[in-house]
Amino acid sequence: MSELSLTGVRKSFGSTHVLHGIDLHVAHGEFVVFVGPSGCGKSTLLRVIAGLEEVTDGAVAIDGTDVTGLPASERGLAMVFQSYALYPHMSVYKNMAFALENMGLPRDEIDKRVRRAAGMLQLTDYLERKPRALSGGQRQRVAIGRAIVRDPKIFLFDEPLSNLDAELRVATRKELAGLHAELGGTMIYVTHDQVEAMTLADRIVVLQAGKIEQVGTPLELYNRPDNLFVAGFIGSPRMNLLPGTVARPGIVTVGDGGHEIACETATLASGAPVTLGVRPEHLSLSESQGLPLAIELVERLGGESYLYGASPGLPQIPAFLGTARSSRTSREAAQLRDPS
Amino acid sequence: MASAEPAAPRGESSGAARLFAAPLSLLMRMIDWPMSALQRLIGERRMAYAFLLPNIVFFGLFVFLPLIINVVFSVTGGTALFPSQRPYVGGEQYAYLFDCGSFLDPNSCREDHFWRGVSNTARFTVFQVTAMVLFSLVTAVVLNMKIKARGFFRAVYFFPVLLSPVVVALTWKWILQRDGLLNAGITALGGERILFLVDPSWAMFWIVFVSVWAHMGFYTLILLAGLQAIPADLYEAAEMDATPRWRVFWRITLPLLWPNMIVVIVLALIKGVQTFDEVFVLTGGGPGTATLMVVHYIYETAFSNQVQNFGLAAAASVVLGLVLFALTLAQLAASNRKGAA
Ligand SMILES: Nc1ncnc2c1ncn2[C@@H]1O[C@H](COP(=O)(O)OP(=O)(O)OP(=O)(O)O)[C@@H](O)[C@H]1O
Ligand SMILES: [Mg+2]
Repeated sequence: MSELSLTGVRKSFGSTHVLHGIDLHVAHGEFVVFVGPSGCGKSTLLRVIAGLEEVTDGAVAIDGTDVTGLPASERGLAMVFQSYALYPHMSVYKNMAFALENMGLPRDEIDKRVRRAAGMLQLTDYLERKPRALSGGQRQRVAIGRAIVRDPKIFLFDEPLSNLDAELRVATRKELAGLHAELGGTMIYVTHDQVEAMTLADRIVVLQAGKIEQVGTPLELYNRPDNLFVAGFIGSPRMNLLPGTVARPGIVTVGDGGHEIACETATLASGAPVTLGVRPEHLSLSESQGLPLAIELVERLGGESYLYGASPGLPQIPAFLGTARSSRTSREAAQLRDPS
Repeated sequence: MASAEPAAPRGESSGAARLFAAPLSLLMRMIDWPMSALQRLIGERRMAYAFLLPNIVFFGLFVFLPLIINVVFSVTGGTALFPSQRPYVGGEQYAYLFDCGSFLDPNSCREDHFWRGVSNTARFTVFQVTAMVLFSLVTAVVLNMKIKARGFFRAVYFFPVLLSPVVVALTWKWILQRDGLLNAGITALGGERILFLVDPSWAMFWIVFVSVWAHMGFYTLILLAGLQAIPADLYEAAEMDATPRWRVFWRITLPLLWPNMIVVIVLALIKGVQTFDEVFVLTGGGPGTATLMVVHYIYETAFSNQVQNFGLAAAASVVLGLVLFALTLAQLAASNRKGAA
């Protein structure tokens, strides 16, 4: 269990600049999730923390000690790779014991730790198997086990669940949450799955193009996104971002029809262009009033249904539905975001 | 703009493809009608044999037939060349070959040159395979690192493989002989001339050295391919596990490279047992019989001795062939295990 801080971390591969000055502090025992679109530098940032990549500029400190120049082997962190990277010629037991042997621990201590981790991860029956004789989920657990036995300062996970099927992903996600509760270790977790991010994280770090867009608790990001990127990135279906204009203080018009929506306009002058962000679940249907919509598609997911509608001059609008069928919605809640 | 760039080489290659396509399609059209006529005649399923036939004919003529003739020679006696003129002697040639007081002492055998060849070949093979595996492993590991001019060095180490064995041997003879390059260097530095190819121990050393030099590139390539097939993330995992370098090599690189190592060991064994041309040119089997190899013995017995004893040479070939067959089976077993892994 440890804390981590990054100051002004930059990383370039030759002339490709991947990370542009990352500042972040991860507290003791915190579960931090990095999310962002593919190629935004999540893995690179994680590998910089691990010591597998050298920083181009900036500093990495663990527990207040600068480790920027230290190789991965001396940082005392553990990483779970997306590919698992299990040693294919070693049994599950050997895979987990390998790092402990490197540390020069006595045999019985190694055995104790491996068996405890195996018990935690329901791997006790597979200890003598080679990785190739395991299912994807079991391999995943071995990879996690290999990290656990070492009792590392910080756990690093790079999309550990992305090779699992949907069901197993949900199950393993819960196990991971349980594990964090049980071990209490500091964990840094990379994913591009929002649900994983929302459910696992104490804090989420949203990255885009090598920069941090916002850091906050899942609900903070959901309810008070700092910018359009975060607003659009967190939540599924996406938040509606409707371009509009301030008509007069307290009123914004959207769409070709100039539909008026009441919302707080703060200090914005009349005529200023704005983007109105409304979560799909904050829209409801109405027969008589509100923004007229032509229904394009209704998605029934069993427990919940979504309606996708079109209104002239606006992007497609997803709205959360009950079981009703209607072509009109009315505004129930709206947020004003990012005057643009 | 961005899409125009990759389009250019593609246009070029399609130009080249078009250049070859015209004569090719002409050729295809020319063989089209006899082939379809043949197919109508023998049916689609038997067409496979029609395609295999040329190869089978050549294989039979130049491999299988000589094999049988060789066995026939080994059970007949006399000095006549044509099998029909040779009297049947049964296992006599083999009995003569194996007539030994002690198999550990070539001098106690009636055909002492054969056994000297066997013992020399065995010694040579053990030294050569050991040196070959060690050097090609070290070379492969170094060439797999991120060193400067890696491509250049890979080519340099592979280059001797492309040379004819005779060229290799002549080159080294030029270096090693009494008035050769090496001795010139030694005397220039004020040293004593060393008779590299006349002293028995030196001669053995140099044939091992030269054959390792000449063939190492091939084995290095096999090992390099094996090294590159080891996923890089395993090394990253090992680094996260704080594994010391030597332990990474022993516990990760070597076990994962083992299938390739086995292939290298067995192939080097097979080639070592068959060694002839380089040694023949470099030392001629000498000094005395110090570097006489089995294949060299067979060649001399059959073709260059005063009395051309085809039968005995054929028997020795069959014995050698059986040893090679066993080694080949070992290699097949090893590479099958690799496939399963
Ligand atoms: N070794 C490298 N050399 C050059 N460029 C690299 C290297 N590694 C990563 N990059 C580049 O850095 C950028 C970020 O890569 P990174 O793997 O960190 O993305 P990511 O956020 O993990 O994406 P994903 O979600 O697809 O895994 C990419 O544009 C990638 O092409
Ligand atoms: Mg990644």
